[in-house]
Amino acid sequence: MEALFFNVDNGFLEGIIRGYKAGLLTQTHYSNLTQCETIEDFRTQLSATDYGNFLSNEPLPISTSTITDKATQLLVDQFNFLRSNAVEPLNKFFDYITYAYMIDNVILLITGTLHERDTHELLERCHPLGVFDTMPALCVATNVEELYHSVLVETPLAPYFRECLSAADLDDLNIEIIRSTLYKAYLEDFYAFCQKIGGPTADVMARILSFEADRRTINITINSFGTELSKEQRANLFPTIGRLFPEGNNALARADDIEQVRMACEGVSEYRAFFDNSSSSARTNGGNDSTAHLLGDLSDDSGPAADLEDRFFLHEVHLNKQAFLQQFQYSIFYSYVKLKEQEIRSLTWIAECIAQDARDRIHDFIPTF
Amino acid sequence: MSGTGPRENIFPTRMALTNTKLRLKGAQTGHSLLAKKRDALTTRFRAILRKVDEAKRKMGRVMQLASFSLAEVTYATGDISYLVQEQAKSATFKVKAKQDNVSGVILPAFEVDRVQGSDFNLTGLGRGGQQVLRSKEVYAKAVETLVELASLQTAFTILDEVIRATNRRVNAIEHVIIPRLDNTIKYIASELDEMDREEFFRLKKVQGKKKRDAEASEALRKAAAERYIEVEDIQIGGGGGDLIDTKDEDIIF
Amino acid sequence: MATTSFKDRNLLAVIGDEDSVTGMLLAGIGHVEHQKKNFLIVDSKTQVSTIEAAFQEFTERKDIAILLINQHVAEKIRPTVDKYQQAFPALLEIPSKDHPYDPSKDSVLKRVQKLFGD
Repeated sequence: MEALFFNVDNGFLEGIIRGYKAGLLTQTHYSNLTQCETIEDFRTQLSATDYGNFLSNEPLPISTSTITDKATQLLVDQFNFLRSNAVEPLNKFFDYITYAYMIDNVILLITGTLHERDTHELLERCHPLGVFDTMPALCVATNVEELYHSVLVETPLAPYFRECLSAADLDDLNIEIIRSTLYKAYLEDFYAFCQKIGGPTADVMARILSFEADRRTINITINSFGTELSKEQRANLFPTIGRLFPEGNNALARADDIEQVRMACEGVSEYRAFFDNSSSSARTNGGNDSTAHLLGDLSDDSGPAADLEDRFFLHEVHLNKQAFLQQFQYSIFYSYVKLKEQEIRSLTWIAECIAQDARDRIHDFIPTF
Repeated sequence: MSGTGPRENIFPTRMALTNTKLRLKGAQTGHSLLAKKRDALTTRFRAILRKVDEAKRKMGRVMQLASFSLAEVTYATGDISYLVQEQAKSATFKVKAKQDNVSGVILPAFEVDRVQGSDFNLTGLGRGGQQVLRSKEVYAKAVETLVELASLQTAFTILDEVIRATNRRVNAIEHVIIPRLDNTIKYIASELDEMDREEFFRLKKVQGKKKRDAEASEALRKAAAERYIEVEDIQIGGGGGDLIDTKDEDIIF
Repeated sequence: MATTSFKDRNLLAVIGDEDSVTGMLLAGIGHVEHQKKNFLIVDSKTQVSTIEAAFQEFTERKDIAILLINQHVAEKIRPTVDKYQQAFPALLEIPSKDHPYDPSKDSVLKRVQKLFGD
């Protein structure tokens, strides 16, 4: 039934998004880009892709951040086009996608307010996807109490704030804990929303969001080793969804080292692979020799963990690509945004490698298609 | 000979000569000491120079690595710069100054004084925390290199300054003070010689004069004596000549 | 060279572009006291006078031992930098991400090269 009526409302947008998807850079593009000697070459190569002449008006020399900004702007334009053409409940779905960026933006503004900075200049730093109409209103707030209330009133994130935090928390808690708390609430809410939509959307999104939740859980665990974050606090930050939930989460909440994290993830076959190879294949690519040479034992310690992050990215891309295999569902929109984001990250990475002449690491990006 | 170069305005006496000679000796000792100091400093300076050069080049590489690690962070976490800027409270990475003594020159050296801070521990909690941690370490290493370089460079600046001062002094002693003292000594010596010669000449002159006077009086006396004999002769030879007729010559003494 | 003049200098200061400053802050050199920071972020919009002022402030502060400055930033205030001869705080030109290190521009290295040359 779902499939029968899907195209009435969303057929146009799905067509568009699949068109956009075809515009994502392919392996050939990437290999061409990695051959570039200078950023100018890089720009020329990109102009042959769907990016077109997006950098042509930029003064030389082009910095990598300009590339990121411009590429992001393209994504935002596409996104806004889709969003303005969407009907209920798809536009709600789009809203949910933006919430993740809103969290980052609000956190940024909170940080600014806490340190009594002029928050107006922060507006430019906000992620364009997370911009909401009333965001400038947040800048009016001068103290935490005011900010808290305006956050509650003005932002779509109000429910997350209401449930998890009080005004006093904003002052006391580390900003990263606030961010994680909000993100957890957001993931759970998004998950519930997708389940409500039901059908294939629920299926596919459940997979993606579960992974996202698990990734956060694992990351928070690993990153909280040796910090002042207590185990109870840590457990509170874990989203209550995902394939690791609940036993895995409990185990992770108690974990003290990476080995225990590995044990906790043992239950999920896909995740097992993340840890399995990370010890054996650690740094087989000779590219890090120079790093290791200069920095001694440093890279050995953090190697596997950094690798882990890459694996997560890889898996995320994999899941997002799978989303395109199913028709008549919303998750392709989400996946497209994520893939595009990954693509921008990869572009930035390559540009960075070219700019900094670090050719040995240039292949360490995650290709999308 | 003397009087060609600049000399000290001094009264040429034997006393002054002794003094000046002593001063010359002092200047020579000072010169050799300073020259030794200069050599020691220069040796050190050369070593530092080489190290500075090396360290500067190394810094280029290390900083590149460091900024690359930041690129990794940006890749994994996104832009964290603002958060980091705002969370900076008090320095956990400080330096301590200690001293090093090279031939009496105090060279400060910076030592890294690092306390494990928890400032950014939670940055990237949800994503990329490992990269942040790693980048932190890489940057800490890089800053250590920078601190090392800064000590070298400070030492370089100070040594450079000191060597210049020492060089100036060495050169001043060698080219100004010693020649001047030399000249003074020569001047005094020549002046004293001159005086000696004048004295000698004067004495000679006096002696000569005395001799001449003595000769003159001697001659006179001789002449007088001869005339007296003549007179005797006359009296003896003339016999009974009229004493009245004969007129005596006036005797003048 | 009085001993006290560098005994209480124990901070590092930095003037540079966003990435360099962020990195230095990550390493833990950041020190904020009474709203006075020991770092300045220079972007394309920063006025040269602001950089000059920060440079003066950092070089006159008594608690700073080392002043790090991005080479391309130093270029903007080159006359001031070249005039700077004090031993404390030690001035160090560092490369930045977008501007690889060029030894020939470094005021200290220039002197090093000159001395090596003769």
